Amino acid sequence: MPHISFHNKEITFKIVYFGPGWSGKTTNLVRIHARVEDDLRGDLVMLDTDQERTLFFDFLPMELGRIAGYAVRLNLYTVPGQIYYEASRRLILDGADGVVFVADSQPSRLDANLVSFSLLRENLESYGMDWSTFPIVLQYNKRDVEAPIAVGTLERDLGLNGITVIEAVAVEGRGVMETIAAVSCRIIEGFDL
Amino acid sequence: MREIPADTTREILRNLIAACEAKTGLLITKEGTSIAEAGDTSYLSTTAMAALVAGMFSATREVARMVGERQFSILLQQGESRHIHISLTTDTTMLVVIFEDIQRIGKVRHEARKVAERLADSLSSSRDSALVRSELSVTDFRQGAVRLINDIFRPD
Repeated sequence: MPHISFHNKEITFKIVYFGPGWSGKTTNLVRIHARVEDDLRGDLVMLDTDQERTLFFDFLPMELGRIAGYAVRLNLYTVPGQIYYEASRRLILDGADGVVFVADSQPSRLDANLVSFSLLRENLESYGMDWSTFPIVLQYNKRDVEAPIAVGTLERDLGLNGITVIEAVAVEGRGVMETIAAVSCRIIEGFDL
Repeated sequence: MREIPADTTREILRNLIAACEAKTGLLITKEGTSIAEAGDTSYLSTTAMAALVAGMFSATREVARMVGERQFSILLQQGESRHIHISLTTDTTMLVVIFEDIQRIGKVRHEARKVAERLADSLSSSRDSALVRSELSVTDFRQGAVRLINDIFRPD
């Protein structure tokens, strides 16, 4: 449910990048931050460890423009991917309007992707959301690795029918803008007052 | 719930800031969005501030649960020259007061507690939705938003 403020004339949506550790969630935000014009976005806030792993979350606020006087804002968050940061992930998902699941295409990370998606499903359900109708975009990242996981594998193993799928190499910027556009449009489709 | 004008939230915040001689006041949601601001906000990004404080408060709530509390209702961050007092106003909103004189902590705490109920009353998301609906067509919004998205997030 977006935050709607009549007084401030703004409508704010929350998008969370979810996925296993090292899948490229922060890289997506870094590329969006670099690509979007300065006046449309704020600073990228990163709360990471000495090893540059996300500790709590990364945060990128954006203002896309105005419609009938109302500012359209997107607040982008990442969650920490490591399995032991479950509490942080659950907190950050609270109030999300849409999720990008960033999967790691390396064959050795198949199980990590499946476990992470299961956690996403559990977390959404714990907030009373129906994950099967919730706006989720599946990004297969790291398509430049040798013998990447075939597109369709995760959808089949997780029973995801009709989910929007985008292939990406986030570190090069490939697929990053398509992904944020896709999840944003999914959210907007379901917008109501 | 009694009817309170939409701009009352900001007015309550402004009065609070004046009463405890604080620098800045913010009302934020637990999802990390700033709802209302008062005082001097020129030195900080209120958007980032709201996100970080909400995260901090959420983390603290988990810590509270670990020690058998439902939540800690107040957080105080003491710096060298600026301090932050954060308190829950409702289950979903937090009041953030930034002040410079640590001697005024008692006053800040007292005023924050005093206005909590009035702030809660002044908020009604259903009323906001109804007011926005009177000015904005959902269809126009969807079409306009999709245009913005496709323009700004154009692939390379």
